[in-house]
Amino acid sequence: MSKRSKTVKITMDNKVLQVKRKLTILQAAECNGIYIPTLCAHEALTPFGGCRMCIVEVEGMRGFPTACTTPVEEGMVIRTHTAQVQNERREILQLILSEHTSSCLICGQKDECREYMGTIRKAGVITGCRYCPNDGQCELQDVVEYLGLKEIDYPIYYRQLRVEKEDPFYDRDYNLCILCGRCIRMCQEIRMADVLAFKQRGRQTVIGPAYNRTHWQAGCEFCGACVSVCPTGALSEKARKWEGKAEREEVTTCSLCGVGCQVRLLIKGEKVIGSLPAEDPLVNDGQLCVKGRFCVTELVNNHRRLRKPYRTQNGAELQISWEQAIELAAKKLSDCPAERFGLLVSPNCTNEDLYVAQKFARVVMGSVNIDTTARKFYGPGFNAYLNLMRMSVPLADLSKASLILCVGLDTRFGRSVVGVQLRKAIGRGAKVITINPRNNNLTMIAEKWLQPAPDEMVHLLRSLVKLTEKKGRRTMMSASRRKRGDLADELSQVAEMLGEACSPVILVGSEFLQRRESPQILEAIGKLARNTCAGVLPLPAQSNLYGSVLMGAYPELLPGGFSSTDKGRADDLSERWSADIPTFPSRRSAEALLWGRKLKVLYLIGVVPPNREPHSDFTIFQNIYPSGSPGQADLVLPAAAFTETDGTSINGEGRIQRVRKAVHPPGEALPDWEILCRIARKLGKKGFDFGNVRQIHKEISRFVAGFGNFAKPRRKASPLLIEGELRVVRRKSAGKKRADKKPPFMMNVSTVEHIYRGFPLTDWVEGARMLFAEETVDVSPEDAKKLGISTGDEVVVSWEHFQKSLLARIVSGQQRGMLYATLRNGEFIEPNPHPVIMRKKDV
Amino acid sequence: MIDREWGDIFSGFAGEQGDLIPILQRVQEKAGYITKGAIEAISQFLKISENQIFGVASFYSQFRFTEPGRNSIKVCMGTACHVRGGQILGDVLERELAISAGQTTEDKRFDLQRVACLGCCALAPVIQINDDIYSRMTVIRLKEVLEKYE
Ligand code: SF4
Ligand code: SF4
Ligand code: SF4
Ligand code: FES
Ligand code: FES
Repeated sequence: MSKRSKTVKITMDNKVLQVKRKLTILQAAECNGIYIPTLCAHEALTPFGGCRMCIVEVEGMRGFPTACTTPVEEGMVIRTHTAQVQNERREILQLILSEHTSSCLICGQKDECREYMGTIRKAGVITGCRYCPNDGQCELQDVVEYLGLKEIDYPIYYRQLRVEKEDPFYDRDYNLCILCGRCIRMCQEIRMADVLAFKQRGRQTVIGPAYNRTHWQAGCEFCGACVSVCPTGALSEKARKWEGKAEREEVTTCSLCGVGCQVRLLIKGEKVIGSLPAEDPLVNDGQLCVKGRFCVTELVNNHRRLRKPYRTQNGAELQISWEQAIELAAKKLSDCPAERFGLLVSPNCTNEDLYVAQKFARVVMGSVNIDTTARKFYGPGFNAYLNLMRMSVPLADLSKASLILCVGLDTRFGRSVVGVQLRKAIGRGAKVITINPRNNNLTMIAEKWLQPAPDEMVHLLRSLVKLTEKKGRRTMMSASRRKRGDLADELSQVAEMLGEACSPVILVGSEFLQRRESPQILEAIGKLARNTCAGVLPLPAQSNLYGSVLMGAYPELLPGGFSSTDKGRADDLSERWSADIPTFPSRRSAEALLWGRKLKVLYLIGVVPPNREPHSDFTIFQNIYPSGSPGQADLVLPAAAFTETDGTSINGEGRIQRVRKAVHPPGEALPDWEILCRIARKLGKKGFDFGNVRQIHKEISRFVAGFGNFAKPRRKASPLLIEGELRVVRRKSAGKKRADKKPPFMMNVSTVEHIYRGFPLTDWVEGARMLFAEETVDVSPEDAKKLGISTGDEVVVSWEHFQKSLLARIVSGQQRGMLYATLRNGEFIEPNPHPVIMRKKDV
Repeated sequence: MIDREWGDIFSGFAGEQGDLIPILQRVQEKAGYITKGAIEAISQFLKISENQIFGVASFYSQFRFTEPGRNSIKVCMGTACHVRGGQILGDVLERELAISAGQTTEDKRFDLQRVACLGCCALAPVIQINDDIYSRMTVIRLKEVLEKYE
């Protein structure tokens, strides 16, 4: 076709322009630097044509068409700001403002007030008349300014709507709302969470969920996308309300889960005041989950951040200088034999921190006792999980898949960016099947929801494996159909769907990871993927699990993921590091090393020990907050959070991404690698004179493929390619079955996964407490009714040797007789599920 | 998962988004108003969120969300009635019955709605109770009119 079909010639404000055919007048104007005021239009959303602020004059068209909805046509003659248009706009704007608090817009003293508040009478002298948190960054103010509106000729009508503050993270003052509908379109078109809608009509029109439900009740994910697009102060972030404008921004990688979203940190002075999604098509494509959007600032800004090193003596905290702290650490470490030293590090740390940590253990201490907290989280399934990571496909494959199978996945709060991709896939015609004993946000959008009892999970997946095996498929199907009726039917349907699907993807969540048979479940997923040529994508909860493996932060693994029993590799490493490094005894289980016996020195980096007797004579606690129970740490060292340090991190898909320093750490806090290096140097060890992260990165690149370009790391997704294996203890089945007493309930225990450096986010982020369950137990409505329990009641679960009180939550769609407990740290997980009795706590 | 109760309400519908209004009409016809349970069931049937269904339904004044009272009062808010004090009648009724428009009194005796023009503007202001039209209504007469209904 000729070039003419793709572009059209128009005249705008007397300029002749050649523009793309499919554009609207508004887009054509923006491309050519012509300003047209808008309120309801937004580049990410479909045009709505509601505010009429963008009206223009088009020759030959009657009235004033709206630029945001009218497409350009060949030969169009457009005028964007004739006197008539401007008058009309002013008229419309006045109508909008007649229902809007307008003191910040048309007060006669506005400008003087900014400077010295000369006329303040009834407002606070410090704040002036600040009715709206958006002051100074409001699109309405911009438009008023542009049109030079000085007064409103209409009677002002105040809607007297109650300000809605009951939900976490953002407040809603619909008295400021101009009904532009951006929030609704964002929630429906992009997030597809469908929480918001216009309700009622005419003057009564308001925005919100059904009835008078709170957003929490209505299924909101608290992604904050609606808040970001609101042109007024109607929707405002609680924590950032009065912070004003950011002075600068820094793009970094969110370290709150393994998705590894790109976030834009908003910075004012030396404070991160907010976080917004970066427009980065590779991972999160302009979206974030509640953690990345709202939790970051509160997490790093809490006043209880550690600022100075201190030691504890007889229960008293004694502030010391860094000099003294390093000296003390060095002294204790030099007295400590290799096999009685232990170093535990958080998988939230950057690669550079992890690399230095394992080098510290191996070179400085000559010890193999290096581990991360991921080992506890994944338990016996750890190696099986890594095996799935060896097969992982990029998240972008969801856009090619005709079928997506989600196993144990919940995307309402954590990982909601994945939920957005799932809904997008459904919009494209893909089918989603979810396998989950629990009812969650995916069951509503899924084509099929298989709800096995938790202990049937393995069986169900194994049946799917059998059904999808190429040979004997038919006979298996009919055999099982005869036996199990409905479920078997469903299973063979799912198997068939999987067989016929084109490039299916299996997403692996973490709801079953703490169960006894998690290795079997993970293995079955692997087999199923092989049978059906599906891609697998495990979505780890830890931001740098992948990196911790590649850096060799485990006794069994060396940097590059080589096995540490591999003598050749170990020798090679010894030579390069010019130090004797220990090999890992081939028959030992790594778990016994750290958790089993009493150590002389235990070094915790971003790890919070569970509440019990310390494991060591001397504990070094290096973190961003103090440990919950004093007395667990003998030496406390203040560390930097991810917003305060440079480095790289590898997300679940295997992308190496930059973590960038946005602000200085508080007080005297230092990045982990720097503290480690200082201690190593104090002990006279060579190979720790890194001056910056770049140098560490360079050294890593000698051992690990893909590293090297620190400024622009390789952000290509890649499955985990390592030779080494983790050695985990497989627990035998629960042992003797207690058949004498039939337990009334089976309780499934899981550990919280919203953890940063050992701390559940709920410790430091107020709003998170409402969203994330902790120390709770979920009960089915039927069981709750029988026992007279309602949500929020304290209940006691017990069985023979233990007893624990938890808060009950009633969850619809849950099987009877099943309890799901979420604990902060997974005590008495064995055997999981656990038979229990439950009663309401007497008051 | 859809309750049997709603089964016949959905019969004849393919489960497409366009079915929403006719389904809502059927629910209202059968139950007298749009119940919470109905919205939940429709949401599962049509795979539209409850929030959106409520948004659509509340746009049309024909749908109500509270159980109707034994008598239903409609206050006209049309132009003619407005000019002649329909608003005041509405306010007084809300205060008298201690409910706001769209709600039903606790004893289920009355429900109250504000409606657009009832079509007898010459008689403004107008209220309608069940099928009776009361024209040239005044605040003073309201009380005695209400007493006629049990
Ligand atoms: S926070 Fe997200 S899910 Fe909640 S209403 Fe806003 S856009 Fe919708
Ligand atoms: S709340 Fe904000 S985004 Fe939503 S309609 Fe009102 S002004 Fe627009
Ligand atoms: S999905 Fe994960 S990486 Fe993305 S914003 Fe949320 S916590 Fe951060
Ligand atoms: S921006 Fe075009 S109508 Fe609102
Ligand atoms: S305006 Fe009330 S009857 Fe027409």
